Amino acid sequence: MNAEHRWLEAYPELGSGPISTEPYISPEWYEKEKEKIFSKVWLCVGRANELPRPGDYKVKRIEAANTSVIVMRGKDGQIRAFHNMCAHRGNTVVTENGQETYGRNRAGVITCRFHGWVYAADGALRSVPSQERFYSCFDKGDNGLAPIHLDTWEGFLFVNVAEKPEHSLAEFLGDYAEHFRGFPFEELDYGFTYRTELDCNWKVAHDAFAEAYHVDTIHAGSFPNVFSSGLQNVKLMGPHRTCAVCLTLDAKPTPVAGIANRIAGASLVSQRGKSMLPATINPDHRPDFAFELSVLFPNTLLHVSEGIWFTHQFWPLAHNRTLWEGRYYVKAPTSNAGRWAIEHAMTLQRNAWLEDTATMEDTQRAMQSRAKMQQHLQDDEILIRHGAIIVDQYVNA
Amino acid sequence: MTELTLPAAFADLAPWLDWALPTADGRQDRRLASTSDTLRRFYDAVLPRLEDILAEVDKHPLGQLPAALRPLYDIALSLAEVAPHIELYDGAVGVPYAFEEGRFIAVHGGEPTWSTPQPMMTPAP
Repeated sequence: MNAEHRWLEAYPELGSGPISTEPYISPEWYEKEKEKIFSKVWLCVGRANELPRPGDYKVKRIEAANTSVIVMRGKDGQIRAFHNMCAHRGNTVVTENGQETYGRNRAGVITCRFHGWVYAADGALRSVPSQERFYSCFDKGDNGLAPIHLDTWEGFLFVNVAEKPEHSLAEFLGDYAEHFRGFPFEELDYGFTYRTELDCNWKVAHDAFAEAYHVDTIHAGSFPNVFSSGLQNVKLMGPHRTCAVCLTLDAKPTPVAGIANRIAGASLVSQRGKSMLPATINPDHRPDFAFELSVLFPNTLLHVSEGIWFTHQFWPLAHNRTLWEGRYYVKAPTSNAGRWAIEHAMTLQRNAWLEDTATMEDTQRAMQSRAKMQQHLQDDEILIRHGAIIVDQYVNA
Repeated sequence: MTELTLPAAFADLAPWLDWALPTADGRQDRRLASTSDTLRRFYDAVLPRLEDILAEVDKHPLGQLPAALRPLYDIALSLAEVAPHIELYDGAVGVPYAFEEGRFIAVHGGEPTWSTPQPMMTPAP
């Protein structure tokens, strides 16, 4: 066995050749991704605990599926999803104030601001002002909100805009769901969100986060001396993928980081136990295990670690434009010092993400020059190779 | 706006009251508008008092910090914002070799940190 090529030996079907840059720069390819990926598969749009009360709703724009989605909890406790479009003349029912809009209506209804049509949380059209002036062909019963398939896994909300999804959510997740079963996502519910729009293809952003080869260089500032011992436990599961990122965690913390780590242990570069990780994660109990890095196809990266989990999501806006959202979750603080320590961890994480995103727009610009039409991947970049192959399979299906 | 004050035991930090900023956005902006020298002097002044500050604010339950202690807490939060720049980035006021900070939006960035709301969501209208 060649230890340097262990992932090729484990997954020879992925091959080892260079990868084309065309899917990262072609508007035509992007149109196919919209049609064959984002309009067909399950997409994670949030967490059930973002909508704790009946009448709470969230609107999420999904430009790659040509829609915005209302996710709303009804009085019966059920969460449902609908296209944000009024049956009257097509106005958005919930006026959006950006990529994500949160709101609440105690009565569990939403009202289009254009002409006051009212919809219940189950999507039914409840009331139409001056209804008598419409004609006999108009039937309120046929003009509820257009529903979208919604299902949940471990508290995550998924939607599928296809008229009839090819797979159930459970089938789509497959072994991926099993791999993360038991991680206490619910208990670690204190989350921070950062977002920005990047002038790059969504896969450029995905690729930059889907390897640990960059840690020594890109994070020389924020995470110094945590030399990577590479990836471990790479597992490919249908269109999804996961691995363990291992870092040297015994570097002496800086003074403020030392105090913060002692209080909260909310930073990725603090040594932690392995009590809350499912047996499938870091199965060999490696002491240098830092976090599990997984890709939930197509656009969600989910990471878990002791006491921490975080996600990156890449929402395509155009072939060379992407909305990035980074969310970081820890256990809610119980003291003012604990809140301070979490703020320190979050600041450090924000800085690392600023380092991560630094290369993406440059990469896109250079790729668009077409000076080189291939990229070369090393063995530890297997998650990127797998991603490129899966996208190709979907687009050319 | 009333003038900010500190408890008598922390009077030595009075020169740094302009860093008593309640929101993450405010602290980030102040750091970016600062100089390397000021960041270092702020760090050197506040770090020795950090454990005392945290002990003082922990005499009160989370989310119930008396108004009189908030400026002190906010100074500690500014240290969390500044520390990486002294400890890791050699005093640089921005994150070196990074994406443009002004384009990163912190959804929680405008909320007063002491009140510890669930920072994940934009508050409902």
